[in-house]
Amino acid sequence: MKPTDVLVVGCGLAGLTAALTAASRGKTVRVAARGAGTLAIGNACVDVLGYVNGEIVRGNPLDALGRLPEDHPYRIMGTEAVVKALRFFSRLCDENGLDIRTESRENLWIPTALGSFKPTCLCHPYMDRKSLQGHDRVIIAHMPWLKDCHAQMIKTAFARQKGFRDRELRIVELAAFGGQTHRNLTPLDVARFVDTPDGERWLSSQLANHVAQLDAGLCTAVLLPPVLGVERHREIRMRMTRNTGCTLAETVIPPPGVGGLRIRHALTQAAARAGVQIMENTHIVAARTQGRQCLSLVAENNGRGRELAASSFIVATGGFLGGGVVASPGKARETIFGFDLDAPERIEDWGAPDLLDAQPYARLGVKVNGRLNAITPDGDARWDNVYFAGRTLAGYDFASEKSGGGVAICSGHYAAPRC
Amino acid sequence: MTDIAQPDRCIVCTTCTVMCPVAKNCLDFLGPRMIGPAHQRFRLLGMGEDESLHYCSNCKNCDISCPCDVPVSTFIMRARAEASREKPPKFRDWILAHGELLACWLRFIPAVFKNFGMGFAPVRLLLHALGIARQAPLPAFAAQTFRRKFKSLSQPQNLPRQVVLFPGCFVDIYEPESGLDIVAVLNRAGYEAITPEGFVCCGLPLVANGFWQNARQNARRNLEELARWTDRGLPVLTACPSCALMFGKDYAEYFPDLLPRNLSPVLVDVCEFLTGCMERGELSAPDVAPGAATTGDDHILYHAPCHLRALGAGLPGLELLRLIPGLRAEYADSGCCGISGSYGFKKDKYAIGMRVGSALFSAMRQSDAKLCASECGTCRVQMRHGGGKQTLHPVSILRRWLDGK
Repeated sequence: MKPTDVLVVGCGLAGLTAALTAASRGKTVRVAARGAGTLAIGNACVDVLGYVNGEIVRGNPLDALGRLPEDHPYRIMGTEAVVKALRFFSRLCDENGLDIRTESRENLWIPTALGSFKPTCLCHPYMDRKSLQGHDRVIIAHMPWLKDCHAQMIKTAFARQKGFRDRELRIVELAAFGGQTHRNLTPLDVARFVDTPDGERWLSSQLANHVAQLDAGLCTAVLLPPVLGVERHREIRMRMTRNTGCTLAETVIPPPGVGGLRIRHALTQAAARAGVQIMENTHIVAARTQGRQCLSLVAENNGRGRELAASSFIVATGGFLGGGVVASPGKARETIFGFDLDAPERIEDWGAPDLLDAQPYARLGVKVNGRLNAITPDGDARWDNVYFAGRTLAGYDFASEKSGGGVAICSGHYAAPRC
Repeated sequence: MTDIAQPDRCIVCTTCTVMCPVAKNCLDFLGPRMIGPAHQRFRLLGMGEDESLHYCSNCKNCDISCPCDVPVSTFIMRARAEASREKPPKFRDWILAHGELLACWLRFIPAVFKNFGMGFAPVRLLLHALGIARQAPLPAFAAQTFRRKFKSLSQPQNLPRQVVLFPGCFVDIYEPESGLDIVAVLNRAGYEAITPEGFVCCGLPLVANGFWQNARQNARRNLEELARWTDRGLPVLTACPSCALMFGKDYAEYFPDLLPRNLSPVLVDVCEFLTGCMERGELSAPDVAPGAATTGDDHILYHAPCHLRALGAGLPGLELLRLIPGLRAEYADSGCCGISGSYGFKKDKYAIGMRVGSALFSAMRQSDAKLCASECGTCRVQMRHGGGKQTLHPVSILRRWLDGK
């Protein structure tokens, strides 16, 4: 197999961003993917930094980067790199038919399936709580035939929020589509139906009918689970907004989150067009190195190895979930190159008692230098042409910080020009 | 059935169900997560089977998308085998699973009569009654199988190297021309092709339709035959990604006790082999074909079969096409075509298959490419049927260009 300029391992948010950045700079790129990447089940939002040490980050999350520890990936890359990466990503989404951006560069709060709000930074702009509160009336679409769809819970939670006190909150029930099934339907099933002309008509006419029965003159928003299409989301939302005369907003939900699939679809389409070849179901198991250079990575191939040679390598294999990092009692290891990661010796020190607290194990990963090369305990680069990106990196806890998407995009985008 | 993997490696992330083309297009199917690892727990307790087991098309997108290496499709195929022991599969499934045997029985009937028969409305109605969709694009029998044509083929003398070719049932029975294209290109690269009689159907359609023991017998014969050739140090090539997947991955998961200890049962993808030939200088890329630009044949839309993607070897067919100077090969990237071997021919699955393939069909219609390419025989059938454009194996396209057509 012909060597490429860059070999990216992993096709989640970090891997795809890295691949597309490298391709946009004229490099030949191959992606080795094991699994579809966590992006496929996520939501349409990119968290940059929601909390530091348990404190909410209000305003521009970039202003809070200075409060992070020095070995945090954001601190290693620097604010300017973060700004550039987010801009690149928003433009990429826009070019591929998706509005995932920040209007104010400030953290905003978007509604969840439970009626709570979570901080994020880049998202569909109409998901912002402020935008919802700017309406006189919020219609909450109820689909009782759908899993995890609890309109009454959303209404109750909204009613407690100051910004919604004098707003009219109203639940409307939507009729089910299709016939009987013993399967649990999720918003993804609806979104895929809405992607078809029949489905779009089905949803649009129901919403328009409900709205027509209400007093006119009130500025109205409709809150739905993420059902406004997957592959044709932008045009569908635009047409339905016109048909109903309302702002249409969506909640973020537990997997499958629909929005992440929208992003994945946009990025893989862009990759196909850019000539990036994604090798699916390819398990990279080892590396061939010579001194401080990596020559190739070895893919498992029916008991034999298949060597994938490149000039540079970006490792975006994910953490424990993606298989980039594995743990055994008292030990953690990077899986391709096989080096040990700094980890507490006593297993009790891996976790904090409160599940929702920051967790020490969540920060386990590959320690890197300013070029995102893995470093030895002495601080020297292990290999000069291998860069680490995304959740494989040490020093951040994406769940408690709400920083997963941001670090993934920024490290992918930061690593690629160094190849 | 020993050595069945345990389901607990599954972390219930739902990625497989999100990526499953059947779950996407058929709400009656519980999806690979439920029918695979989740239901496996009930099976281990001897509890009943779910009614939607039969919807799985064995396209393997679950295995491709799983982050935790859960053998999802293997759970499902083993469950289907178990279910078939209690309730034997339909006669329709027997027909679709035993294409090789049927072709053998019908070999004395001239193809023109067979094809007239297959195209004859009352016959299609009969098949429809048996459960083979009337609208489905059943491929026509070739006048002579690839193996028979191959016997009377004279390859150039004194070729310095040899390879073994496992043609796969589709090329053998329905599309021998693409097999001949492969032999011609191999010859040009300096290889004499050998097509052994000892190989039989890889067994994938047998597994997919519940004929586990038949598949096991085929696997045993094929592994013995494969060892005979690999012992001689000869690479064994195939043009069919599904056969390659069955040998390379599925035999080990379905019939681990049949695998000899030191053999990794690999069939080499013919496109990968030929890109290697080009890199080694054994085969030089064709010159820009004169006049090709004016025919519009210089733009090819390439579709990657799911089983090729599951092999984890990238898209060598696309790479091969991109090595042809003056040719623009575009990747359709539109997911499964919906045929999944015998699945899309079934009366109760035809509409699902067509919905699954609709993204690919519209990509074909929207593309200005007049010619499409894909390695898998039944994908090509479905693409011609749904997308309405001529579709060839990448090596057939390479041969056209090498011949200056």
